[in-house]
Amino acid sequence: MSKHFITLKVNGKEYNIYVNSDDRLIDVLRDKLGLKSVKEGCGTGDCGLCTVLVNGVPVLSCLTLAVQARNKEILTLEGLGSEEKLHPIQEAFREAHAVQCGFCTPAMILIAKALLDRNQNPSYDEIREAISGTLCRCTGYYGVVEAIKLASERMKNEG
Amino acid sequence: MFDVYVPSSFDDALKFLSREGHKTTIISHGTDLLPRIRAGELRPEVLLDLSGFDDLLRYIREDGECIRIGALTTVTDIYESPALNGPLEAFKHAAKKFGGPQIRNMATIGGNVGAASSSEDFIPILLALNAKAKLTSVNGDRILSIERLILDKGVIARRSNEIITEIFFKKPPENAWTAFDKIGRRNAMFIALVNMAVYLHVENGRIKDVRIALNRVKRKIPERAYETEKFLKGKIFTNEVLEGAKEVLERELKLTSDFRASAEYRVEVQKALLKRLLTYCYNKIRRVKVE
Ligand SMILES: Cc1cc2nc3c(=O)[nH]c(=O)nc-3n(C[C@H](O)[C@H](O)[C@H](O)COP(=O)(O)OP(=O)(O)OC[C@H]3O[C@@H](n4cnc5c(N)ncnc54)[C@H](O)[C@@H]3O)c2cc1C
Repeated sequence: MSKHFITLKVNGKEYNIYVNSDDRLIDVLRDKLGLKSVKEGCGTGDCGLCTVLVNGVPVLSCLTLAVQARNKEILTLEGLGSEEKLHPIQEAFREAHAVQCGFCTPAMILIAKALLDRNQNPSYDEIREAISGTLCRCTGYYGVVEAIKLASERMKNEG
Repeated sequence: MFDVYVPSSFDDALKFLSREGHKTTIISHGTDLLPRIRAGELRPEVLLDLSGFDDLLRYIREDGECIRIGALTTVTDIYESPALNGPLEAFKHAAKKFGGPQIRNMATIGGNVGAASSSEDFIPILLALNAKAKLTSVNGDRILSIERLILDKGVIARRSNEIITEIFFKKPPENAWTAFDKIGRRNAMFIALVNMAVYLHVENGRIKDVRIALNRVKRKIPERAYETEKFLKGKIFTNEVLEGAKEVLERELKLTSDFRASAEYRVEVQKALLKRLLTYCYNKIRRVKVE
C-alpha cells in the first residue's frame, strides 16, 4: 500500500508526516499527533463527534482520509484556548452547564466556533440547526444551546 | 486496504483513469463511499482522489439559458447559492433536509449522482429538470442525461476512464416552479423512505409541462413517473385533476416492501406528496403566498 508524505496544518502548526492511503484523518490526529480531543462515536458519519474544522468549516474526521486533508488548515479543540486561559466559548460551556460526560463537547465547541465566526449573533434556531448533526446523550442540548448563546453575547461585547 | 492516487493535476487524473480506470474507484468527499468500504460492501483497490480540485470543479454558474454545477459543489454551496433559488427552490428543499450540517459541508453533487441509489436526494430533482451530466476523459467531454446515466442501484453509465465533471440543466421558463420533499422517520439525519421532486409549468391555468421524479417507481432507483405526467399534461389545474393524478400514480408505482417501510405506506405517502408538491408549485407560479 502506498504511503503519502503530506503537510498537515493543525492548530497553526505544520506537520510533515507520512500517512497510509487508508488512514482516516481522525486516526492521524489522535494517534500520530496525540490530539485526543477528537472523539470517535459511530465511525459512519451519523453522530458528529469526530467533527474538526477544515478551513473553518465543520467536517467529519472519520469520513475524511488523512491524505485528503493535505495542505488544509485544521482546527481541533487543542487549538482553542489554553489551560491557563480558556477560550470564551469554553468559559461559556462551563458556566452554562453544557458539559456532562464531555464526549460531545469538543465537537460542540468547534461547531460553535465555526458558527460564531460567520454569524456573531445567531438566533436560537440557528444555534440548534448548527448542532443538529451532533449527538449528545446527556445534556438534552439545553445547556449547549444556552452556552453558545452566552458565548455569542460575550464575544460580541468584547468586539 | 486500498491505495489512494493523488493526481498532480486534472490532466494527470484523466491520464491515470485512462490507464488504471478498470480497477479505480473515484472518491470525492467519501461520505457515501467510506461508510460502505468500512461496512465491507465495497473493496476497492485504488481510489482516485478528486478532493483537491475545488478550484476547477466547485462552482455554480449561470450560463445563458443554463445553470452549470461543478461536480465538487457541496450541499452547503447549493443551499447558499442565489442562483438555485426561486423557481429552482427544489434544491433548497433537498439541501435543508440533507444529512446534518457536517455532511452538508462535505457531500458533493457529483458524489450524489455517482452513488446512484434511491436515497440520493438530488437525483429526483435532476430528473425533474431533465438535467444532463458532463463526463470528461482524455478523449474530451461526453454529455449524457441523468436519466440515461443512472442504470441501476449503484451503477452508472460512466466509462471507466471518465469523471463526472459537471451537471447542467435549462433554467425554468416564466410560470414554472420546482419543489422537493422527503419523508422519513424523524426530522434530521434520515434516509428518505420516499422522496419526490416535481417541475410544473402552467400557462393560463393549464398544465403546459410537468415532470415528476420519485426515489422509486418501478425499480429501486429514482425514476420519472411518466404515466402520471402524461395524465396531467394539458389539463386545467384543479383539485379533481390532482385527485385523478394520485390514482394514476398509484397504478404506476410498482413498489416492494422492505425493512424500512411497506409498499402500501410508500404509495400513500407518494400520493400525498404529489398533491402537496404540485399545489405548492402552482401557488408559487400564481404568486399566492405559501409558507
Ligand atoms: C450520515 C449521512 C447522511 C446522509 N444523508 C443524505 C441525505 O440526506 N440525502 C442524500 O442524498 N444523501 C445522503 N447521504 C449520502 C451521501 O452523503 C451523498 O450521496 C453525497 O452526495 C455523496 O457525495 P460525496 O462527495 O461524499 O461522494 P463519495 O462518497 O466520494 O462518492 C460517492 C460515489 O460516487 C462516485 N463519484 C464521486 N464523485 C464522482 C465524480 N466526480 N465522477 C464520477 N463518480 C463519482 C464514487 O466513486 C462513489 O461511488 C448521507 C450520508 C451520510 C454518511
